[in-house]
Amino acid sequence: MSAENNNLIPSFVVLQVGARRIALPREGVAELIASPLIYKFPHTTPLIAGVVLRRGRILPVLDLGPGVSGALSPSTRFFLVVERHTSNAPEKCAIPVQGACELVAGIMVPAADLEGYVTGHLNLNGEQIDVLDLEKAIALGAANQNEWIPATEALS
Amino acid sequence: MTQQAYPGLIPRDARPKEQVVLFSIGEYSFVISASSVQEIRSTDGLGGNVVDLDRPVLSKVRHIVERDARSYYVVSGYEHFHLPLSRPRSVLILRDVPVAVLVDRIEEMAEMRILLGMPRSFRGEELIWYRGLTVLARKVLPVADPRGFLTAGELQRLEDENPGLLQTAGRPVGTSRHERERV
Repeated sequence: MSAENNNLIPSFVVLQVGARRIALPREGVAELIASPLIYKFPHTTPLIAGVVLRRGRILPVLDLGPGVSGALSPSTRFFLVVERHTSNAPEKCAIPVQGACELVAGIMVPAADLEGYVTGHLNLNGEQIDVLDLEKAIALGAANQNEWIPATEALS
Repeated sequence: MTQQAYPGLIPRDARPKEQVVLFSIGEYSFVISASSVQEIRSTDGLGGNVVDLDRPVLSKVRHIVERDARSYYVVSGYEHFHLPLSRPRSVLILRDVPVAVLVDRIEEMAEMRILLGMPRSFRGEELIWYRGLTVLARKVLPVADPRGFLTAGELQRLEDENPGLLQTAGRPVGTSRHERERV
């Protein structure tokens, strides 16, 4: 396949969140970083595990685990920096990832259910990888984590 | 006439600086502007200047403390930040708000050279609690907002449920309508 043709095929970053492999469109991904330290302080925003320092900037760490794999992500020193478009201005965030991330090109088959956070699927050597809508995954994960809090309180 | 250079007098870093107090609650460290702190006391040193609230409408505020003819609501730091029970040993008496904050330890004084706004992904109570984030000794720390310990709404609720108490708490022992005890 020529490079020209290759440019026409969308590319995705495949990452591992908890036990699940998922993909994000390449356009929203800035870089993969290794950060030895995650700084934590009290807050009440679901999914935010802390912040990391990157080139003098403070990036919030957003754990997609509760939304996509049903559990908080294991501790890691690797983060995928993505750009969120939540309000007026974009913001870079760091997503904890386990293991290596992979840049792949492929055609996404749109998901039948557009209500969920999966926008489509990639076929990678026979493995079906879900492509996420990042904002929907964050919203669902936040809702899940909010449900955990009362459950935890009820058990304590 | 050429201007003589005084290299020793030229500031190396022209960024604004702010003196801050580093304090900790449980395993977490925070900073607060030194200019917003009137006094730092040991909880032991408060002695008989503490008055129980008649109606503690907020779980984090159960007492009033009187210092130098002024009264302050005593805010439990660990309850304010929703942290596990801790052992407060110091009190930060704030300057421009009627608030005294119970904290575990005062770590040190430091010079803050950078104050960054909270990232937009934060959407919870931390937007009230903190002025932003700073970096001290290569650590990211939240900068407590002195007005965030008790919001205007919370102050109003405390006043509504305990009318006039903040003004009368400073009376000498015997004239107070509340039993005095230690924090």
